[in-house]
Amino acid sequence: MSELESFRAEIDKCVKCGTCRSICPTTRVLGRESACARGKLTLIKAYLDGEIEMSETFMRHIKECAMCGGCRDVCPAGVKTTDVYLAARAEFVEKKGLPFLASLIFKNLDSSRLMPFALKLGTRFKGLFFKGAETDTGLVSRFSLPLVGGGRLMPEVAGTFFLDRKEVRKLGKRQKKGGDQMGSSSANIAFFAGCGVNYLMPDVGSASLKCIERTGSTVSVPKGQVCCGMPAYYTGDMETARRLAKKNIEVFESYDYDYVATSCATCSHGLKTVFKNLFKDDDEMRERAGAFAEKVRDITELLARDLGPMEAASTGSEETGSSDRPVSVTYHDPCHLNRNQGIKAEPRALLEGTDGIEFKNMKFACSCCGLGGGLSMTNYDLSIAISKRKADGALASGADVVATACPGCIVQLRDAMHRYGVDKKVVHVVELL
Amino acid sequence: MLPERVYAALEDVVGKENITASKEDLLCYSYDATNTTFMPDAVLFPATAVEVSRVVEIANTEKFGLIPRGAGTGFTGGSLAVFGGVVLSTERMKSVIEIDEENLTAVVEPGVITWEFQQDVEAVGLFYPPDPTSKKTSTIGGNIAECAGGPRAVKYGVTRDYILGLEVVLPTGEIISTGTSTMKGVVGYDLTRLMAGSEGTLGIITKATLRLIPKPEKVITMLVSFLDVAAAAAAVSDIIAARIMPSTLELIDAFSIKCIEEYDPERLKNVGALLIIEVDGISEAADKAAERVEEVCGSAGATGFETATDKHDVKNLWKARRSISPALFKLKPNKINEDVVVPRSRIMELMTGLERIGTERRLIIACFGHAGDGNIHMNIMYDRNNIDEATNADMAVKEAFELTLSLGGTISGEHGVGTTKAKYLDMELGPVEVALMQRLKSMFDPNNILNPGKIFSGSASDKKVPAPAF
Repeated sequence: MSELESFRAEIDKCVKCGTCRSICPTTRVLGRESACARGKLTLIKAYLDGEIEMSETFMRHIKECAMCGGCRDVCPAGVKTTDVYLAARAEFVEKKGLPFLASLIFKNLDSSRLMPFALKLGTRFKGLFFKGAETDTGLVSRFSLPLVGGGRLMPEVAGTFFLDRKEVRKLGKRQKKGGDQMGSSSANIAFFAGCGVNYLMPDVGSASLKCIERTGSTVSVPKGQVCCGMPAYYTGDMETARRLAKKNIEVFESYDYDYVATSCATCSHGLKTVFKNLFKDDDEMRERAGAFAEKVRDITELLARDLGPMEAASTGSEETGSSDRPVSVTYHDPCHLNRNQGIKAEPRALLEGTDGIEFKNMKFACSCCGLGGGLSMTNYDLSIAISKRKADGALASGADVVATACPGCIVQLRDAMHRYGVDKKVVHVVELL
Repeated sequence: MLPERVYAALEDVVGKENITASKEDLLCYSYDATNTTFMPDAVLFPATAVEVSRVVEIANTEKFGLIPRGAGTGFTGGSLAVFGGVVLSTERMKSVIEIDEENLTAVVEPGVITWEFQQDVEAVGLFYPPDPTSKKTSTIGGNIAECAGGPRAVKYGVTRDYILGLEVVLPTGEIISTGTSTMKGVVGYDLTRLMAGSEGTLGIITKATLRLIPKPEKVITMLVSFLDVAAAAAAVSDIIAARIMPSTLELIDAFSIKCIEEYDPERLKNVGALLIIEVDGISEAADKAAERVEEVCGSAGATGFETATDKHDVKNLWKARRSISPALFKLKPNKINEDVVVPRSRIMELMTGLERIGTERRLIIACFGHAGDGNIHMNIMYDRNNIDEATNADMAVKEAFELTLSLGGTISGEHGVGTTKAKYLDMELGPVEVALMQRLKSMFDPNNILNPGKIFSGSASDKKVPAPAF
């Protein structure tokens, strides 16, 4: 029995009430029944029943999804829609293999040399394909590129990756197990960078470390950590996801820590929940993943709940204003943080508690930015069309700055602001504290 | 299968992108909230009345059925292609054309989602009251075609009370305008009202002029618990008799509460019956009405009374309420969902009668709904594969309808007849009325191309042969 087959009972729970249509960002854009959960589940069931083949149309409809989890959250019958989609995606990979480019990338995600090399090579020739944007946040593609699309604001690859930064490398020194940290009141944090922070937004990583240090905690950045594996997971490549999860768990196990922190919503969701699920059939690894998961915190959660208050920043961040002329900030909820982890109040509390920030709510703050589930790679037009609602929401909020807590969302929101002509900075919450 | 010639003609009208006959797409338009499946032969996504009109002309020439469809949330099969044919989806016709703040009217296309439209008008201090439970998904066009109601109907009435005029494509292809854009208008027959609730059998709505009212200044939401459903039902009648006009008066029985417990275990655990009551209006008036509601509920034996203070609380409460219908499947795999209405003074008789039928037929009949206007959603839960249960469920429906009619009620308040209630039509309507309606239908639609098989299909007096499928 295939993994997908085991979801038959889950699919049968759908009573076709259509509530999923009300929240689905893809349905909103495409205006087609095949985009919503009710449609997708119908198709998957028809496939299991042998009524339809694994056709291009079928696969396209299933992949018309940012995996935001909205349908799962509103489903009155409690269908775990995203689990079913993932099983379908895994079935596609199993039967049809990965697209060439994806397989090339996924194979090399755990190489500490090849990925950085490839990315560096890419930046050298970027002028051929991209021009600098008027904003200072990325590059605009000159013409339509495969997987990229024309006019797209691409994030610029960092000159020096986060994990290569001198001050970060210093933090890679292994702490002695059971050392003199024991009994100390300050917490010991191991930081997980993730690809977004490492390759694209090293400053978000550095700002995160600074925030942690300002609480009086000590921080390490374990050496040898690799991609969290979520891109592979959402594509349906469970083998790669498992390999990367295992590697990361091994790396972190050789460090001493009270918490593992990350400033990427997708990574924190992956580390907390997905790692465990990946080892369903491996008792030992599942247990290790479980012990690891218990310590994982999203950076906003860690700062707002687990650690003490931060000391005042020695120099105000460039984004925040002074208390007599505060900067107004709104917040976008990353799906992987809000829907998958229930973290909604924490980032807002951090922002509201910061001097010089006037917090403004954004309408539909928790609607998806459109990047996730590989959608920005497989169907950029749809992905960026979904993000329009965010650009509209940011504009209507009247805030100067849009904060969020996920590098992926930041990439997408910057592209959206550029595409829809909304002049707002998009930053990570930690950059404002 | 649509003959190639027909497909090409239709493609010529709507464009390549807006027609599909792939099996994958047809599957996605084969169902609605009745959770039954009928494969259409094609799905079209027209953008204008003119396109719809040209499609209708082709359907008349080629003699195939057209099934208008909004968001497919109906409970009586109104958007199902029961004899095959072509589904006409309004998903691309989704503009709010105008909100006229001076005249308190709005013009919308049929595919506009009701809740989103309400957000738009409320942003400028106006109000479009009809709020079917599916409002976050369902469309204005579908709401009009089915004459949708909702919790607020107790004070504000139903969809038909907010339609001033319509643009409709007739089953013969002509595009007509009905009604006015003024508050009054009596020139000629009231075709607008004829269209409202016609279930897509008399015309395809392509535009609607809607009436708006000022948004109430304050809404107070109350949650009142009772020992059992009879006590709650008595309280409903008492509130109406006390001349209080709540904007919402919802009743939820113990079976239904059980299914949504998880939304708010603290409030919902071990409760015998619940009323959700809302009063609205000018701030002082709403406060006063809330006080009186509390008094009346107290004398009626309420065991708990709570005013929701937090916006989040209210939202959560309504989310739970809206989830009852689909969540009932936790009780049994199948349900027969009927929306009977009785005069409000007789709600208690209806509730105790339904309880009796349930006991006699050894079935769970879960009841909830808009008790304030006498409209109860009774859900007969059963297992289709258990022949004994299925037979009893069938009998129970008939008995419940008999009970409803004997109390002076109607067998459908807001869901319509569609396919699921067609066989009971002549329990409520006399032969002369049914014949008149059928004459009306054949006058509008001589070839029976528009939504064939609905309302009359199973009725003993129906002799009409449906349009052929390919």
